Amino acid sequence: MKDLLIVTKLVMVEKKDILYSILFGFLAAITAVALFAASGYMISKAALVPPINTLTIMIAVVKLLGIARAASRYAERYFSHRATFTILSNLRVSFYEKLEPLAPGIFQKFRSGDLLSRIVGDVESLQNFFLRVFYPPIVLVIVFLSTIFFVTFYSVTVALVLLVGLLLTSFVVPAVFAVSQRTIDHHVRDGRGELSTEVTEFLYGYRDLKIYQKLDGKEQQLTNTSDAYIKEQEREGVHAVLGQSVNTIVSLVISWFVLALGAYLVVEGQLDGLFLAMLVMISLTVFENATPMAVLPSHLEDSRRAATRLFSVVSEGSPEEVQQREMVKLHSEKALSIQMDDVSFAFPGEARTTLKNINLSLPVGSKTTIVGPSGSGKSTLLQLLLKMNTANQGGISIDGTSVNRIPQESIWEEANVVLQENHFFFGTIRDNLLIAKDGLTDEEMEGMLAKVKLNSFSLSDPVFEKGENLSGGEKQRLAIARAMLKGAHLWLLDEPTSSIDVLTERSIYNHLFHQAKEDTVVLVSHRLTGLEKMDQIIVMEQGTIIESGSFDELMEKKGYFYEMKQIEKSVLM
Amino acid sequence: MKQLKGIATVSRASLWVLVFSAVLTGAAIIGQAYFFVAIVDGVFLKEKSFEEIVPLLGGLLAVLLARVTFTYVSGRVGVKAASRVKRDVRKALLNKFSRNPMQASLHGQSGQKVSVMMDAVDEIDSYYSKYLPQMIQTSIVPFMIVSVVFTQHMFSGLLMLISAPFIPIFFIIIGVKTQKKSETQLEKMAEFSGRFLDTLQGLITLKLFGRAARQKEAIQQSSLDFRDATMDVLKIAFLSTLTIEFISMLSTGLIALEIGLRLVVFESITFFTAFFVLILAPEFYLSLKELSAAFHTGRGSMGAAKKVAEELTETEQAVQWGEETLQVRSTPPAIGLRGTGFRYGEDGFALKNIQAELPPYGQIAIVGRSGSGKTTLLHLIAGLVAPQEGEMVVDGRLLSDYKEKDWLDQLSYISQHPYLFSGTIEENIAIGGRSGASRVEVKKAAEKAGIAGMIKSLEKGYDTAIGEAGRGLSGGEKQRIAIARAFLKKPSVILFDEPTTGLDLHTERILQESMEELSQSSTVITVAHRLHTIKNADQILFLSDGELVATGTHKELIGSVVEYRDMVSAQQGGSAE
Repeated sequence: MKDLLIVTKLVMVEKKDILYSILFGFLAAITAVALFAASGYMISKAALVPPINTLTIMIAVVKLLGIARAASRYAERYFSHRATFTILSNLRVSFYEKLEPLAPGIFQKFRSGDLLSRIVGDVESLQNFFLRVFYPPIVLVIVFLSTIFFVTFYSVTVALVLLVGLLLTSFVVPAVFAVSQRTIDHHVRDGRGELSTEVTEFLYGYRDLKIYQKLDGKEQQLTNTSDAYIKEQEREGVHAVLGQSVNTIVSLVISWFVLALGAYLVVEGQLDGLFLAMLVMISLTVFENATPMAVLPSHLEDSRRAATRLFSVVSEGSPEEVQQREMVKLHSEKALSIQMDDVSFAFPGEARTTLKNINLSLPVGSKTTIVGPSGSGKSTLLQLLLKMNTANQGGISIDGTSVNRIPQESIWEEANVVLQENHFFFGTIRDNLLIAKDGLTDEEMEGMLAKVKLNSFSLSDPVFEKGENLSGGEKQRLAIARAMLKGAHLWLLDEPTSSIDVLTERSIYNHLFHQAKEDTVVLVSHRLTGLEKMDQIIVMEQGTIIESGSFDELMEKKGYFYEMKQIEKSVLM
Repeated sequence: MKQLKGIATVSRASLWVLVFSAVLTGAAIIGQAYFFVAIVDGVFLKEKSFEEIVPLLGGLLAVLLARVTFTYVSGRVGVKAASRVKRDVRKALLNKFSRNPMQASLHGQSGQKVSVMMDAVDEIDSYYSKYLPQMIQTSIVPFMIVSVVFTQHMFSGLLMLISAPFIPIFFIIIGVKTQKKSETQLEKMAEFSGRFLDTLQGLITLKLFGRAARQKEAIQQSSLDFRDATMDVLKIAFLSTLTIEFISMLSTGLIALEIGLRLVVFESITFFTAFFVLILAPEFYLSLKELSAAFHTGRGSMGAAKKVAEELTETEQAVQWGEETLQVRSTPPAIGLRGTGFRYGEDGFALKNIQAELPPYGQIAIVGRSGSGKTTLLHLIAGLVAPQEGEMVVDGRLLSDYKEKDWLDQLSYISQHPYLFSGTIEENIAIGGRSGASRVEVKKAAEKAGIAGMIKSLEKGYDTAIGEAGRGLSGGEKQRIAIARAFLKKPSVILFDEPTTGLDLHTERILQESMEELSQSSTVITVAHRLHTIKNADQILFLSDGELVATGTHKELIGSVVEYRDMVSAQQGGSAE
């Protein structure tokens, strides 16, 4: 509930739209009540054969109320939806503000790939919070109280009956259903998760299932899981129908009471029969407003869960960057040295250490390659250098300063980084290159595109979300171009050319190493070709450095690197 | 819903229940109005005593309860019908996917198929649970009300009949007029709504370039643009509701005016009739309005149904199997490809006229550039897809004559990316073998595949959960699990898609040794990427662009086939020998 309070605070920012929503919501509901009250009164009055002008006035009033109601309903919808979407915008911005300082550490903590789309989905589902949870009860209570107040002029007892009805339909019944809703929701979610796993395994593992003749069994299993999931959905659906029905029956029974009581009072002479029809019409109409309360519990539950999940993502520890010691910024405009002493690292929550006792020394201006099979810890080592993770043991220093004392931002500012997964934004090639540095000219960018052999692209060519319209190789080349445009003097490159053919790779590296002549370069490589000119080759396996040296030294040694090289030579692509 | 015709239908019984409860709901609405009016009329004008109206009150209560009960029944039947439809549709999809051999080659599209099977099926729900009951209700209740009004007062009935069609007509007119506009708006909305996710996904990149803080404004701007685009669409929807409300309001007003005049000026009808009609009129328009609301829900479902229908109508290229038994003998079967060919879809990639004899214990290497049809050929031999031309012969008979089980019992298939199922390591190894393998046998297979050491180092050993919800394995470890599956099975034919890159030396060595050992007892057909494998092969099938260019040993091909020599020497920097 604490998280919903944060959301509520963000909702409250849009005071004006909220007020309009409530105002017009109230007008729409109260005019409807008035409309039916007036027509009930009118018809009763008509029965007593009043002068014709009384009737004319009544009819005019009814018409006017009708128009007012339709118009207020329109205004209510307009303002409440506008408020909702403005609130969503506030939510996104506020959440981004909280998430931004935690990246990229946060992405490691939640390694599941769908975290981000879940965040987006959760924010989206909070749109129902204002629209279906926050303001309808406010409108409802005001409408009921005004109506009840009006009714007290005719009969206090009837007013009390309405009050009981308000409490029942708006609070008691929804609260009761909210409790059972929680368990049902839980089952539905579990069922969905299980089915999703089954479907994924069935489709992605199809070939293996077929060959191992497990397809029929899997189909049966999938069908069973699907049936169980559908059963839970069915329970949810029936539960919702039941909730609505109970709410309706309560409101109808209350109206029945109003009628019975009113009739009794008329017979007893305590109420003018003229008003009986009016009171019944009021009761029938005012309870129509309670209908949304039947769906409120499930929306409340959804919002609560969404808010909790959202804020649990960002609440876990603000950046661990505790300013205990004074921070030192790196100097730009010159190459940097790197030193790692006895560094070990394990991902949080994993027993296996990913890096074990790593020692390495990269002097200013040196060119180093890290090679090794996948899963040997190459990328993790790079991440430690970028301070995206912190070593459990040992020390890392850049330019003689421990990374603990250098702010992340300062390292990133001084480094040209190409990761295995590089993001490209929806927009144009130009937009995506401009991220590199301020004040880049079109000529500079076009020149760089030529260097990475992307001359076929123009700067204004579109880039789709995540660069979906680019091939793997094109994305890598664009990422290299972006890094080269940045022009810092420390290069940290993680398999930047794995999808680029050897010839193009060679040409790109020529440009890159030309630009980086004076700089310090760390290149994680998947290929063992073209490493002859590197100052140092580091061979990793299972988190340790098992060999290092220059290309010639390693080849002479006939060790691990040599054997890898032999295998690579014999692999035909 | 016509897209799902023949796949899923609502049972006749359910439809009758829906119709029946609609009729009873209609009756209850009319009854409710009648009792209300009778009671008010009784105490207000007829000055009856309270005892006299007690039966009426009792009747009213009964009618109210009945009305809610029938609404509940109708809702419940709708939900149940939706469940059945979802069940049938998912089953049909499952059937389709499992019979479609192409599934094996369509890894790229699996994500989309998952979404059809999960989300699209779920979205169909509201059509059956909401739209259908509402539609039945709307086609019955208003007519009942009008008929009753006619018996009471013909002019009011006429007014209702004349005004009613305006609601659907206006609904359609507005819909048609604004469809184009809302479509362009919807595109914009989709674009804006993606921005937030786009920024989050790119957060690391943004931070590395020091741009993250500036994105706040961009998020806000795109959110507000999204809002404005959405509001444009919503305004149209609200406007159509507004119009419809005006129509029903106007019509109710007309009716009220008319009966009011008759009551007062002409004194031609009674208070009872007037009040009765006045209560029924809003109920009449209400049920018409509800249909338009339900229509919106139904529309989303129809889109989903279309997606499902598209999947279901895709052409199948199912594999036929026969009844002949294929004996498990000490020697592996001889396999012959006689002019065999296969094409993906209507004009997809084609494998043409493959001519080859693969003898027992043969070491066959399939070689060719990427996209030349190597994997498709492996799928053909495995029986995952059926030849469309020519034949595939096993031990002198067509493969399609044998029982599927008999053939698959003899096979192991080791792919580049073996799939791990969620379960324990033991289960994952055992899945490849004959059923009922003991822990001892599994261990033995794991040892041969060189993965026993790694498994032992795990806290839970063979009971460690892997796959979807468990521990991740590296590429090399997955390969070794697949090899262990083969050792457990002891197949007579092994199909092996050799990995291209990324393995550790240990796995490389294991792979080589294991394949050598397995080849002692089986025919091994490898999509080969390693020169070692190619050189050791008795026979190389060299493919180019779906055609078998040459067969022979490495020595023979190097000498006689230029294209082969080029390909091998390009990798070797000019020294292929």
